[in-house]
Order: sequence, then structure tokens, then C-alpha cells
Amino acid sequence: MDFSAMSPAEQAHMNRIIERKQMQDFMRMYSSLVERCFNSCCNDFTSKALSSKEVHFYPPNLRDRSVLTKPIAPPPQEQCVLNCTDKFLKHSERVGARFAEHNAEMMGANMNK
Amino acid sequence: MSFLGRGSAPAGGINQERVEMATQELDMITDIFNRIVSSCHAKCISTRYAEGDLNKGESVCIDRCVAKFFEVNKKVGEKMQAVGAAAGSAGPGGFSL
Repeated sequence: MDFSAMSPAEQAHMNRIIERKQMQDFMRMYSSLVERCFNSCCNDFTSKALSSKEVHFYPPNLRDRSVLTKPIAPPPQEQCVLNCTDKFLKHSERVGARFAEHNAEMMGANMNK
Repeated sequence: MSFLGRGSAPAGGINQERVEMATQELDMITDIFNRIVSSCHAKCISTRYAEGDLNKGESVCIDRCVAKFFEVNKKVGEKMQAVGAAAGSAGPGGFSL
């Protein structure tokens, strides 16, 4: 998207539009993230509290190799939600970086057609 | 598909047509971005959420996922143009992009 061909008034107008769309996009992302993390992490409703499940991690005794094949308990709900949020934001950031690279290529190819 | 400077506009005024086209292009790009985020998250990131950072495997997967998405985007675009051209040469009335 090349805005240098537009007049200052148009650029200012576009900036306002972009700002509004960014805010809308942010709100959409926020609510979809909440839903996503809730769906993945909160599956136990025996209590109202988020960190309802206490998980005790015992240090693995590696003389007993069977610990490597035993199923590992999922993290408590609150930690899961925090991890989910963190991971999504990092993921989104990385996608954004790659997207910018490829987008420049795509736009360049289109202009040359 | 890309924005070309088009339409006559008063020197300091706002050309609605250009603004409209730029807005549409912005919408399209935002839509593609949101779809990529959503698809690549579903494909690359496990839902166990054992930690808050992306591990190496996930990072590499994301890079490749984005690259493939754009490849697919390009291929589909080319195919659609071919179909559009074929329909156009067969006779008027076919839809054009």
C-alpha cells in the first residue's frame, strides 16, 4: 500500500481510518483470545476458582525409566491461561514479521504485472 | 489488486474513490493476516500450553506456514485469473476480477 501518491488531507484521513481499524482489530483479537484460552484451558468446573487444581510435581527419579512414559499432568488452569496468552501474542508477533516480508514481495510482484 | 494512483482530485482535497480503494486494500490485507494467524496457530501450536514461549519447532513451523500460505494465495490467484481469462474468451457474461 503506497500512500505517498495521496494528498496530505487524504493521508490524514487514511491515518484516522487506520487508527480506528486498529482499535477494532485489537478488540476482536482480545475477545477471540479470551475464548481460545478458555476453551483450551478451563475444562474442570468442580470449583469457581481458576487455580482449582493443585498439581504436585515430584522430581523425576530417573533410575526408574517408567516416569518417561507416564502421562504428564497438564498445568493448572491459571498458568495454562497465562501461557496461552503469552504464546498467542508471541505467535502473532512472529507471523507479523514473516507477513511483512512476504507482503512486500507480493505487492512488488503485483505492481510489476 | 494493488493501489494505483487514480482519479482526479483537487490539490488539497480528498478523493473519495482513492480513499475507498485504499480502505478496501487495507481491509483485504488485514483479513489475510487474521486468517494466517488463526490457521497457523491451529496447525503449529499445541494446545497443551506447557510454557509461555514458542519453542524452536513451533517457530520454524510458523515461518513455513506463513510462506506456504502466501504460495497458496499466489497459486489460487493465478488459477482464478486463468479461469477468468478462459471464461472471458469463451464469451461475454463470465465474471471478471
